[in-house]
Amino acid sequence: MRKLLLLLWGSMLLLPCLLFAQSRNITGKILDPEGKPIANASILVKGTRTGTSSQMDGSFSVNASPNAKALVISAVGWTTQEVDIAGKSTISVSLVASDKTLSEVVVTSLGIVRDKRSLGYATQNLKADQIADKGSVNLINALQGQVAGVNIVGASGSPGASVNINIRGITSFTNNNQPLFVVDGIPISNDVDRTNGGPNGTLGDNQPANRALDIDVNNIESMNILKGPAAAVLYGSRAANGAIIITTKKGGVGGRSEIVAGSSYSQQYAEGLPRVQNQYGQGSTGIYNPISSNSWGPKFGATPSVANGLLVGGQPVAYQAYPNNIKDFFETGTISDNNLSISGGDAKQNFLLSGAYLSQNGILPNTGLKRTIVKFAGNTILRNKIKLGGSITFTNTLQNGILGGNGNSALSNVLGLTRSLDLTSYKTKGTYQNADGTNNYQITGVDNPYYDAYKNPLKSNLYRFLGSVNLGYDVTSWLNVNYRLGVDAYTDRRKQIFAISSARVPAGLDLESSIFRSEVNGDLIVTAHKNGFLHPDLDVTALVGQNINQRVSQTITAQADALAIPGYYQINNGTVFSNGTAESTTKRRLVGYYAQLSLAWKGYLFLELTGRADQTSTLPSNKNTYFYPSVNAGFVFTDALKLNSDVLSYGKVRASIARVGNDAPAYQLQNTYVQGGYGNNVASFNFPYGSIAGFGVSSRIAPTTLSPEFTTAYEVGANLGFWKNRVTLDGAYYNTVSTAQIVNVGVAPSSGYSTRTTNTGKMTNKGVELTLNVTAVQTNRFKWDITGNFTKVVNKVVSLADGITNLSIPGSAFTGSIPSIRVGQPYGVIIGGLIPIDSASGLRIINAGTGVYASTVANQILSNPNPEYSLGVTNTFKYKTFTLGFLFDFVKGGQILSFTAATYKSRGAWEGTAANREKPWILPGVILSGGKYIPNNIEVPAQTYWQAMGGLQSEFNVYDATAVRLRNVSIGYDLPSKLVKAAKLNYVRLSVFANNLWHYAPNAFFDPEVNTQGAGNIRGLDLQGSPNATTVGASLRVSL
Amino acid sequence: MKFSNIKNLVLLLTAGLLLGSCKKYLDVNSTPNNPTSVPPSVLLPNTTIGIAFANGNDLNRASSALVQHIAGVANQTASYDVYNFSGAFDNQWNGELYNGAIANSVVLINLDSATSPIYSGIAKLEMAYAFSMVTDVWGDVPYSQAGQGLKFLTPRFDKVQDIYQGNATLGITGLLDLVKSGLADLDKPNNALKPTKDDIVYAGDATKWKRFGNSLLLKFAMQMSNTNAAVAKSTIQSVIDGNNFINANTLDFDVPFGSSVGNQNPIYSFNYVNRPGDQMLSLRFLNLMRSLNDTVRLARLFTKPNGAFTGYDNGTTTAAPAQASRSQYGAYFVGTTGSASLHLLTNYQVNFILAEAALVLGTTGDANAYYQAGIKAHMQKIGMADADITAYFTANPTIVTLAGTTEDKRKQIITQKYISNVGNGIEAWNDYRRTGYPVLALPNNPGGDDPTVIPTRLPYTNGELSNNPNAPNPRPLVNVKLWWAK
Repeated sequence: MRKLLLLLWGSMLLLPCLLFAQSRNITGKILDPEGKPIANASILVKGTRTGTSSQMDGSFSVNASPNAKALVISAVGWTTQEVDIAGKSTISVSLVASDKTLSEVVVTSLGIVRDKRSLGYATQNLKADQIADKGSVNLINALQGQVAGVNIVGASGSPGASVNINIRGITSFTNNNQPLFVVDGIPISNDVDRTNGGPNGTLGDNQPANRALDIDVNNIESMNILKGPAAAVLYGSRAANGAIIITTKKGGVGGRSEIVAGSSYSQQYAEGLPRVQNQYGQGSTGIYNPISSNSWGPKFGATPSVANGLLVGGQPVAYQAYPNNIKDFFETGTISDNNLSISGGDAKQNFLLSGAYLSQNGILPNTGLKRTIVKFAGNTILRNKIKLGGSITFTNTLQNGILGGNGNSALSNVLGLTRSLDLTSYKTKGTYQNADGTNNYQITGVDNPYYDAYKNPLKSNLYRFLGSVNLGYDVTSWLNVNYRLGVDAYTDRRKQIFAISSARVPAGLDLESSIFRSEVNGDLIVTAHKNGFLHPDLDVTALVGQNINQRVSQTITAQADALAIPGYYQINNGTVFSNGTAESTTKRRLVGYYAQLSLAWKGYLFLELTGRADQTSTLPSNKNTYFYPSVNAGFVFTDALKLNSDVLSYGKVRASIARVGNDAPAYQLQNTYVQGGYGNNVASFNFPYGSIAGFGVSSRIAPTTLSPEFTTAYEVGANLGFWKNRVTLDGAYYNTVSTAQIVNVGVAPSSGYSTRTTNTGKMTNKGVELTLNVTAVQTNRFKWDITGNFTKVVNKVVSLADGITNLSIPGSAFTGSIPSIRVGQPYGVIIGGLIPIDSASGLRIINAGTGVYASTVANQILSNPNPEYSLGVTNTFKYKTFTLGFLFDFVKGGQILSFTAATYKSRGAWEGTAANREKPWILPGVILSGGKYIPNNIEVPAQTYWQAMGGLQSEFNVYDATAVRLRNVSIGYDLPSKLVKAAKLNYVRLSVFANNLWHYAPNAFFDPEVNTQGAGNIRGLDLQGSPNATTVGASLRVSL
Repeated sequence: MKFSNIKNLVLLLTAGLLLGSCKKYLDVNSTPNNPTSVPPSVLLPNTTIGIAFANGNDLNRASSALVQHIAGVANQTASYDVYNFSGAFDNQWNGELYNGAIANSVVLINLDSATSPIYSGIAKLEMAYAFSMVTDVWGDVPYSQAGQGLKFLTPRFDKVQDIYQGNATLGITGLLDLVKSGLADLDKPNNALKPTKDDIVYAGDATKWKRFGNSLLLKFAMQMSNTNAAVAKSTIQSVIDGNNFINANTLDFDVPFGSSVGNQNPIYSFNYVNRPGDQMLSLRFLNLMRSLNDTVRLARLFTKPNGAFTGYDNGTTTAAPAQASRSQYGAYFVGTTGSASLHLLTNYQVNFILAEAALVLGTTGDANAYYQAGIKAHMQKIGMADADITAYFTANPTIVTLAGTTEDKRKQIITQKYISNVGNGIEAWNDYRRTGYPVLALPNNPGGDDPTVIPTRLPYTNGELSNNPNAPNPRPLVNVKLWWAK
């Protein structure tokens, strides 16, 4: 087939001069193998410049000379065909789909369908079968391990917890670095809204969702990941971090009605819990203490004595190990997902109605997710040829979660739980609370984990509306005008409660938050397309457009403190309302003008120029317009130079340079006053003070002027196909330079302010990404495909402002482990204290008086969360209608600071703390003796040893996150078509799947692939959050 | 509609949209979330709470541990107790002081000097108090260029002596002159605006503010008495002569707090709400009070669970007593669920200052009388019954009467002042560093910069060190004495 394609191309290139003669009219239809019309196919009379395009219904009409022999039919995604027309006036052409990956059709910016062959930049396409029926609730999880150049880390296995995704690294110091999500041409919000409830604020809440969670994975037809800013320059600034272009399923496929029903059920289990010791129980210094959180008590089986605390009043106390007391706190989660779609019509008039309901019970008690999605979409062509389309999607997402984080959360109290405490009876008997609803727990001063789980939850109830209208009109055969209006709006109503007697908020609290966001986009696009423009070998597409964008957000929070009546959670049960009660609104607008010119020469040389000018509300009015261009080129050298051989079947090189400007967040230009407040979670004061108001200067100094920030990306890449494309390789190298970043850069606090907003700094990302596809075996019945990808990004903060070498990443952090931007380092290093080192020996200094480490020296690099590289390998086996796929991925490097690990060690629960427990230990390091440092020889008990290494922010709790993981296994089976047809069905598909089934992390005794703060710029912290989950399930999909 | 009409309409609409004007459309960048100007009545309570919160929060916990009023049991206070200050005090330096009380005082002074001098006068006194905390805790600190935003983004570090005394060459107005300038503002008539309930300490009474100002002069003068006795003496003498200072408990500069969550004083919210297990009465302070037969007073300052005081030794690694049996800060610091005032400058402090001044500087007045008045004022302040006070004086004549050498007497004065400053650790630490009294032993397991001495300053904060190239580099260690220290 490849040869045929080349022959066709060749014949097109060697066209004889055309002869003028009397013309005749030829009409016909272009169809796919299923008989579905193909629109916009190019029909060229062979050897001439005469041609046309097929209509929506696949029909065409073209004038040809009487002696014209053939038509050349080409369409994006289809193999070009030459059709004999000698003596014919009507023809019907059935096109054959072209080879995957090389002539693949991809949906690029603004919903424009392109042949991947013509692109001068990197994209990667995922089809429905690579995403659906894999047990992923959040679609970003479905991408994990499958896309080169992309780093994805989920917050945890808690239901709805957000998932961080960065494409080609982090390019903005403090603004959003997530890619732009676009659904059917409409940018949608993937924001993470955090609820700041109670002490520990956003560090100790349930993990909120990233709002891509509201997308139904089952309803996705394809996802195209546009990796660099070159790919997405037409979407404006926000696509600087790449874009994920989602195309949802459409009605009218194949010109018939279809009902698809799908149902899946899966179970989830907590994964990656540390191994625990079961030799020593509750207590400290070898003495039993029933109110201790630690497991430094006597050995199980020790003879009870008054000295070891096991003999009280002459009676031995009950003292035994509960080996599964931590594991059993985590529950078997369940996910049931049911969906139904009804579609019908043809290419001209079609509709789709779909509904989906997903219900999840989490691995943590009292957590879950319920998601309902209803969508209606339709397209029609009016009699006056105006094309009209529209869709409405309603989503309701309910997320129930519980607290995490250090300082009295369910998780901080259960992780590293003392080995001799039975938790289950608290749950089964409901005795985690007293009769009056207050906390009941054997360990004093902290909450019973079940009490936290059941009495202090956070609930989120989100309604989302996604609507779009599309109007198109073909002014002439080569000129099209299209207008698209999209609205994405949601309201998330949240309720965080703390029961009276909760350790974090003893007086009780009811926090009501209403979070509203909306985005409106209007795009007017004029497209001109002409094949053989000016020269028969030149295809030209030109596009001009205008975008109007408005984004509005409003968060209203009412906080009722010091509740009067236990168990009653309404705002009016509060007695103090002055803390946290607040309103925040933002509105920003942007008008963009853009143009794109695409040239294709002889189907092997492609050049594209783009430019966009944005005018924004957020920059000073005299500097609010900024322009950014891009250029990219692709060259299929195997075609151009006729290098095709059986070994090298296809070869393309490509290059691009793109610049993207970005505006500021809203309201940066004014100095303001803020409501007064002092302190943090250990003691605080907030105005109003009774009836007395208090305001003070904001800690930020507004800029005297502000310009847009810019990112420039340079990319070169190649697509190669070998052995008739049995092996294909897509590679890219890029260098992204971000400059003039709009940041709130630190000023000396003694200036009276903490930050000032300014343009400053420079950061680079250099990276390599590779995608390799190998069809290892292919017979009629059996096929084995291997897909591998490789990602390496090297980020470097080149400069900040004058005299400033360090900047904290905005967000919540604990002093002592602050995610930071530091000159000369990769983005996001965690800054904290390190134990001083004796320079002569290079060993840590130990206090000769105590035998434990000297006080740390602050302001040093504690950890670096950036992985060195990552790999993903998918194997897919197809036998008849069976499909077996499994995906391994491997992440090398990247560090995580784990409060969880610290807790397991300092509490003496981790299995490693039992070894040689009763023998003396010596911490590695040096002590000062007689004026010089000598190796430490001070013996300390195991408890002292492990607690010296168990400080939450200690360097000993920084772990290498290297891990290999069996990310996904799935088996699919399509019922034989005979059987299916007999039942008058289209297909019946059964799948069995498992996610996150196994991992091996050589340097961490827990699963290091967690990220407590989820999606955002802060990475590499495990602040006693939920562990990961393994998902195992099955699904059934029936089409009729 | 005809085909060609549609075509024209589409083209027209397209052209119109592409070329439309949008100046007004984009004019939406004024923040609705925060005010861009405010009246002085909302700034003043913020600066007042600011200095009080700074005085009673983490700096108080650290200094109270250093002077061994309290002992750390867990977390930060336990670290402070053994001189590990790594990564600490940014919140105090930044949030409470420079970005809190100081930045807002600067705004208050600038806004109101011309129209409402009473506000700028009060602000100058409060700013002086705020700066004295900063320099007394950290030594050389940004002062003359501090709190002014864009004007000085990296303020110069002024020397302690220049901060106290001023330095004309460097254009530094010293704390003494800053207070005098505030007092002058308070004398100015014609205030467009006057504080009322927004003055949470003196309810807008300028005469009381003047007493506070003059008492501040006493405090500052005594603080610099080791190194500039002449100015100290003349300043104190002139305040005595003016006879317009805090001379009754009712005139104390006490900053009141509220009983509601979020309005409570930081001693209460730390010790009773958020971190009840972190610190408790120092065994050493308990022993001192026992040796002075002063446990009736101690019971007003610290709780006595089940009828017994339980202290904890500073820096020890032995297990702490059960929480329910620990002696914690008592009713004097609690009030009604945290509404107790913080006592920033008081009649008892003034009396001890005047006693010490009479003793060592030779200012007028009877040292012993001031000494006894100081003890009594404190006992009354914390609510001891008159009978108990009388009983104590009767039973302990040697304690309540100055005797021996000047140094002996000074030791007595500062020891009593030290007792009365429970809850105001910064003042107790100031006096300790200035006089060496009371004599304190090192805690168990000391660490930090120098485990051989009780720290004489705190290390500069990371935020300042990393953002201000004018900060001394390397920072002085915590064993380097301040200009005014003994």
